[in-house]
Order: sequence, then structure tokens, then C-alpha cells
Amino acid sequence: MGRYVIRRLLQMIPVFIGSTFLIFVMVYALGDPVAALFGDKAPDPATAARIRKELYLDQPLWKQYLHYMGQIFQGDFGTAFNGQKVTELLASAYPVTLRLTLVAVVIELVVGITLGVVSGLRRGRTVDTSVLVLTLVVISVPTFVSGYVLQFLFGVKWAVIRPTVSPEAPFSELLLPGTVLALVSLAYVTRLTRTSIAENVRADYLRTAVAKGLPRRRIITRHLLRNSLIPVITFIGTDIGALMGGAIVTEKIFNIHGVGYQIYQGILRNNAPTVVGFVTILVIVFLLANLLVDLLYAVLDPRIRYA
Amino acid sequence: MDLAMSEAETLEKAPGGPPLGTGPGKPRSLWSDAWYQLRRNPIFLVSGLLILFLVVISLWPGLIATGNPLECHLAKAQEGSQPGHPFGYDSQGCDVYTRTVYGARASITVGVCATLGAALLGSLLGGLAGFFGGWWDALLSRVADIFFGIPVILGGLVLLSVVTSSTVWPVVGFIVLLGWPQISRIARGSVITAKQNDYVQAARALGAGNGRMLLRHVAPNAVAPVIVVATIALGTYIALEATLSFLGVGLRPPTVSWGIDIANAAQSIRNAPHMLLWPAGALSITVLAFIMLGDAVRDALDPKLR
Amino acid sequence: MLLDVRDLHVEFRTRDGVAKAVNGVTYSVDAGETLAVLGESGSGKSVTAQAIMGILDIPPGRITGGEILFQGRDLLQLKEDERRKVRGAEMAMIFQDALSSLNPVLSVGDQLGEMFIVHRGMSRKDARAKAVELMDRVRIPAAKERVGQYPHQFSGGMRQRIMIAMALALEPALIIADEPTTALDVTVQAQVMDLLAELQQEYHMGLILITHDLGVVADVADRIAVMYAGRIVETAPVHDIYKAPAHPYTRGLLDSIPRLDQKGQELYAIKGLPPNLMAIPPGCAFHPRCPRAQDICRTDEPPLFRVEGPGEDGERRSACHFWRETLRDA
Repeated sequence: MGRYVIRRLLQMIPVFIGSTFLIFVMVYALGDPVAALFGDKAPDPATAARIRKELYLDQPLWKQYLHYMGQIFQGDFGTAFNGQKVTELLASAYPVTLRLTLVAVVIELVVGITLGVVSGLRRGRTVDTSVLVLTLVVISVPTFVSGYVLQFLFGVKWAVIRPTVSPEAPFSELLLPGTVLALVSLAYVTRLTRTSIAENVRADYLRTAVAKGLPRRRIITRHLLRNSLIPVITFIGTDIGALMGGAIVTEKIFNIHGVGYQIYQGILRNNAPTVVGFVTILVIVFLLANLLVDLLYAVLDPRIRYA
Repeated sequence: MDLAMSEAETLEKAPGGPPLGTGPGKPRSLWSDAWYQLRRNPIFLVSGLLILFLVVISLWPGLIATGNPLECHLAKAQEGSQPGHPFGYDSQGCDVYTRTVYGARASITVGVCATLGAALLGSLLGGLAGFFGGWWDALLSRVADIFFGIPVILGGLVLLSVVTSSTVWPVVGFIVLLGWPQISRIARGSVITAKQNDYVQAARALGAGNGRMLLRHVAPNAVAPVIVVATIALGTYIALEATLSFLGVGLRPPTVSWGIDIANAAQSIRNAPHMLLWPAGALSITVLAFIMLGDAVRDALDPKLR
Repeated sequence: MLLDVRDLHVEFRTRDGVAKAVNGVTYSVDAGETLAVLGESGSGKSVTAQAIMGILDIPPGRITGGEILFQGRDLLQLKEDERRKVRGAEMAMIFQDALSSLNPVLSVGDQLGEMFIVHRGMSRKDARAKAVELMDRVRIPAAKERVGQYPHQFSGGMRQRIMIAMALALEPALIIADEPTTALDVTVQAQVMDLLAELQQEYHMGLILITHDLGVVADVADRIAVMYAGRIVETAPVHDIYKAPAHPYTRGLLDSIPRLDQKGQELYAIKGLPPNLMAIPPGCAFHPRCPRAQDICRTDEPPLFRVEGPGEDGERRSACHFWRETLRDA
């Protein structure tokens, strides 16, 4: 198990370097941050050169990258061009998005798995068909459409919630945005659970469980669910990274000041340190989530653990 | 047993011997069998007709919309349904019906081109990696991992924000760039599976060359999963284009795009919800049609799930 | 009589029609007796066993007639909850492929102990001790150390021993073994079969051994029931059948065993294919493949005739109009 973890950690390193370098190149190579700093005014060449030197921008790109990564590992994410420390922005934005993602994942787990199990056990019946049609519809409606529609209905028309989220973003206000964020993944979780259950229901070991005279409840919870949920858990784990990265749309609709919002602002203002800092953390979260999934997978499935 | 095993359509486990499962008619190949299944599947027929309709109106939008999508009258901004303008006007006073019809072109073009690009690039790279293995395979897998590590929408924001072109090509290029790793994984996996088939091993033992093996034995067996994934991806690519356009980095005016129209409509959703309804409905139905088609194709090409 | 199956009928409803898998099977097993059920795949031998255990997939399966008397009670009249308490505790089943029949994500100790927890209300700790005891009993080396391991960590033979241990756990009165050695290496087959036979003697259990391997049968079975197209075509004490079969199908099965004293000769094979269960031939279902078929075989379904002859040491029956001729030619 220990060796397995170490191998996975080592495999993450090139992926981490590759992804962050790619983002770094995109952000720094494509726009000119110094020009952006001065807005519409033409910068004074001497001042521009001084800023470039201070920000390490006169060096080749790979050196800039190494310098930047070196600073990051000392906990210095640099300073946004408006003078704010990027670490401060990170500290204010990440908890908000984490809460939003948490709400979404819980909804996925509870609603998605429940619907999937019910329809998987009743394959071909009315419940199953309705759930299947519902998931198709949900997958087809893009998040930004469902977001505005739900915001309009709950926040404006029926006025049961505040249409936008306050800066503190408490859990209670994140319920609807979390649902919106979860919707598409929720549909995938439902379908995946359904397929997995329907496959395992036919498995030989389940017939054995019946032949052992186990009560139906025990057969389902101990034998059927345990096996069927392994791929589902894997999906949800990898989805955490995707949710945090995709939260940008939801955050824009509900005016949540989270990671997506900060990155969006950073890109609009060509604020390179903010964008690279946020994305680097996001990549780390994504990789860690994947690692966690692999470990969880090994815990749930002994065939992997001892392979 | 009382577990609900209501598999009336399958009989894999009924131990009734060989003559049970054989369907009507003589045995068919995977493809003709798939086509037989598809023709009888109502989901395929509905989604196929819908897609045919969308393709036709994206080629010749004038067939059902006589107006000009760029001709707008600010005086009529946000007005509702009127004779000759069934969907009303948007915030700039453009005809919502005409714009909704014309919006199909951008979505379909981006969806089809990006899918073709990603499928070709992905299956070429993944297929070769799976077939030859070795360092090329290892390198490609790591590169694919790197692209998987980049959040799609964020990548789009960063890369496309500096683009100024108003054509569809930057968006198509971006989707291909982030879409190929998914296809290449599928292609790699199915090539490896196909390569391990006994008859392919036999052909190798009989001295068939690499090129011949790949084209004659491996590719035909590996292509089905790629087609399935690509069809479903087409729907999600259309949704992705609309999302990017909504965020202001996808298609740009004067290109008519559902994503742009939805973004504009969203700002006045309280006063004129009808402006959001039509482009959003059209977008959702288009995505739905492609995902349904992908589902039907998967059911037909993967007999195990039937 | 421990188990008495009478005129059992089972159908499967499929998209393409109704498959009649079991058509009036009648057989019985006594305590301590081994009944071997022989037949090709599709003959209904496994479906009958699943109906007895109550693990048929319903739907598409359906029991359309007959009774299954077990220790005097008709199992088909029991409520599902009462039936469940019989399964595993009073009758148990051993499946062919132990790897897929054991749950891959639970340790063998958990899977064995579960029997005691569910049926006997034992604590987890006691159940674990019982699991070790069972593994010892089926001679798995180092049982104490291996009780926490998972099915994929055992060899094929060891896994089948675990299946046997699971079936024996609550000392049931009847065990149904569905091709218990087919999936194993030839070298291991004999060991597993011997173990099963030995334990059966020890506990004085009834054993239904489903197989298509005539070699296994001769060593362990007391009686044989031969099935074809969902019916019993011949039933007899094991020695009588080997000496002289009273049904052309049994004859065909025996003749198709390779024998050392006939080295070099072409191996006998029953011509034709097993019947389509959705269109079983009228009359005797075997007539299209039977070398002895006459007009009566195409029209009249033969009942199970009582077979009498010199040196018979038990009840013997054959569903062939020409059983006398078949017996004489043997």
C-alpha cells in the first residue's frame, strides 16, 4: 500500500509540472501584463523595463517559470498588479468555492446514488424510464441555462431565496448554486449507478448471496451496493476537480466571490499572478483528488490493493 | 428469488442451452446488426430526424426564417410576441425567432468540426500508441494526463481571451486541443483489446505486417467505441461552445450564437424572460438530440449492454 | 424421503417466445444418498436445481407446475421469508465457478461467517472463529492466517473448498452441487470431489450432483438421473446404468466416453444438436437424434416405464418405448 502511494505521488509530478507550465505559458506568453498594468496609457519605457525586471519578465519563459515555482514553494504567490497579495485573494476565495463544491458533491452522492439504485433495481419499469429521461434532459441543459432559470424561478418569481449570494457565502445560501453546479454530474452519477447496479444484479456472487439465505436488505446493502458503488465513487472523486474548475459559471450567475470569479476577473484585467496562482492551486487540488480516488479505490476493491 | 431481476429482454442467465438466445434471421456482422437495431429504435429515429432538421437549417436558414438576424430596431427592444415575430424581440430589438434559427449554424459547425478534429487526432495518436506501445505510448499517456489536468472552462478563458477573430475556428481549435485526450484514451484501450484477440495474434503469427494488421484487423474492431464516445462528445462540445460564448470568450458578434444571445438575455431575465427561453430551448434540444443519438448508437454497437 | 420433486415444470419467457426448460421432472433423494443428474447443457438440470433452491430468476423464469417436497413440506407453498430460512441452513448449493460466485470485495472469513451471523445470530467474533474452523475442516492450510484474505488470493481448488465450506457451514440436510469440479484443473478435480464425498458421508447429507462428466459419477453416485430437453429419460442405480443403459440417449452418452481399450477407433458422438427449448419435438423429444426411432416415437410421448430385468438391485425407470430392446442390445 505504501509503495502504491509513493508510485502514484511520483507519477503526479510530471503531470503537475506539465499542466502548470502550460497554463503559465498561456497566461504570460499571450498577453503583455505590463501593458495591461498601464491600462490605456502608453507606459514610459524606462518604468516598463524596471517593472519587467522586478517581475522577472525580462528572462526567458522557462526561467520565469522556475523562479515562479520556486517562490510558490516558499509560500509566495506574488502580488497582483493592484498591489493585493495573491495569497490573501486565495485565502478569501478558496473556502467559498470549497463550500460550494462540498454542497454539490453531497447532492450528487445523496440524490444521484439514490435515484441510480432505485432505477437500477427496477430496470425497465416506469420509475427507471422516468429517471432515465430526466437525466437525459438534465445533461442536455447547459449549466448557465439551468442556473439562470432556477435563479429566476426561486429568487425572483417565487422569491424563496436571495437571488445572489452574500460575500460571506454561508452554506444556507449555497444550496441552490450547489444544486445548479451539481446538476449535470448528478445525472451522470445516476446513470453510472444504474448501469453498475444492473450489471452486478446479474453477477454470480449475488446469486450465491441469495442461495445463502441472506435477507434481501443485507444482499442489497452488503453485497450489491458495496460492489456497484466502486465506479461511482471513482467518478465523484475525479469530478471534484472538474466541479471546482467549472464553478466559474455558477459563481458568475449567483455573484459568488470564489475561485472562478477571481480567475475571471484576473483574465479580464490580464492580471497574470492572480490567474497563475489560482490555477496552480486548482491543478494541485485536482491531482490530490485523483490520488484520493485511487487510494479509496484500493481500499474498496481488494483486487487492486494486492495487485 | 425476489430481487427485481426484470430482465425480460435479456436471457443471459437462463440456463436453457444454446438455441435460446438466437434472434430472428441469420447471423449478422457487428455493423449490419447495429444498423438493424438502430432502425428499430425510436430514440434513434427521433434524434436522427431532429439532427437532420438542424443540419438543414444550419445550411439553409432562409428556408424557415425570412428575416435578417442582424437587422435590429432598438425601438422594439424586449417587446413580446407579435404577428410575423412569434418569439418577440431581444434587448437590441433583433427578431428572436430569426436569431434562434440562425444560431443553429454556429453550434452545428463548431460541434461537427470539433468532433471530427478531436476524433481524428485522438484516434490516430491513441491508436498508434496502443498498437506500438513502448516509449511513445508512455509519452502520449503523460501528455494526455497533462491536458486532463487543465480545467476545460478555465483553459478556454485563458487561451481564447486573447483571440480577436470572430470566426468559429479558434473555438474549434481549442475544443480539439482539450478534447483529443479523451478520444485517444478510448482508442488506445480498444486497440489494445483488439490487438489481444486470438485471430489478430494468429495473423501476426502467420507473418502479417504491421500496416496490414492495423488496417485490416485492429482498426475495424477498435473504431466502434470511438464512434460512440465521439457522438456523445458532439453534444457536450456544443454545450461547451455555448458556455464559452456565454462567458464572452467563445464566438463573438456579429456571429449569431445561442450562447451570446443567452448571455444578453440573462441580463434582463426579470423583464423579458421570453428572450432567454427560445435560444436556451433550442440549445438544450440540440444537445439532447446528439446525446440521445450517442446513447442509441452505443446500445446498438455494444451488444453486451443490450 | 428427504427431497421429493414431483412433476416440476419451469418456463422462461423471452422476447422470442416461451422456452420450456423443465417439463415434468420427478426425482427424489434420501438422506446420505448421492443422486447424480446427468445431461447436456440446456437439458434443464441446473434450472431444476435452482427451482429447488428457490434462486430462479423470476421473471423471466416461472414455475408453472409440480411440487418440491423437502422433509415433508412443499417448498413452493412457503412464503418467501420462510423459504429464505431454509436456503443456506437446511439446503445449500455449490456453484461451478467459485471465483465469480464469491464476492470479490469481502474476505472469505466475512463470507463464511455471514452464515452464522444471519442464520444463528452469532457475534462477529464467534462467526470468525467458526469460519476458521470451517476452513480447517475443508483442509485449507494456515486457515487462521488466511481467513482475512480475499477470494482472488486463493487458487482455484482452494476457492472451491471455500464454496464447499460455505455450503457445509450450517450442516444442511441437502447439498446441491452444480458441476463443482468443471472449472478446476484435472489434478485438483479428484481432490475436491473426494473431499465433498467424504464430508457428505460424515454428515449423512443428501447430495444432488449435477454434472456432464460420467467419470466423476461412477465413483461417488448411488443413483443416476439422466435428463434430456427438460425431462428425466432414465433413472437407475449407478451400477445398472453402466452395465446396461435402458435408454438410447444414455447409451449414446456412455459410448461417447473415450476408452483406452478402444484406442485408435473413431470416438462415438450422438448425432444432431440438443433441441430448441422453444420448439421441442412432439412425441419423444430425442427421436430426431435416436438411432432406434420408430413412428410411435414421433407421435407418442413415452412415460417413465418401470424397467425390470435380471440382477436389478433397485428401482429403475426409462422413458423409451423400446427400453427392452435397448437393454437387450447392451
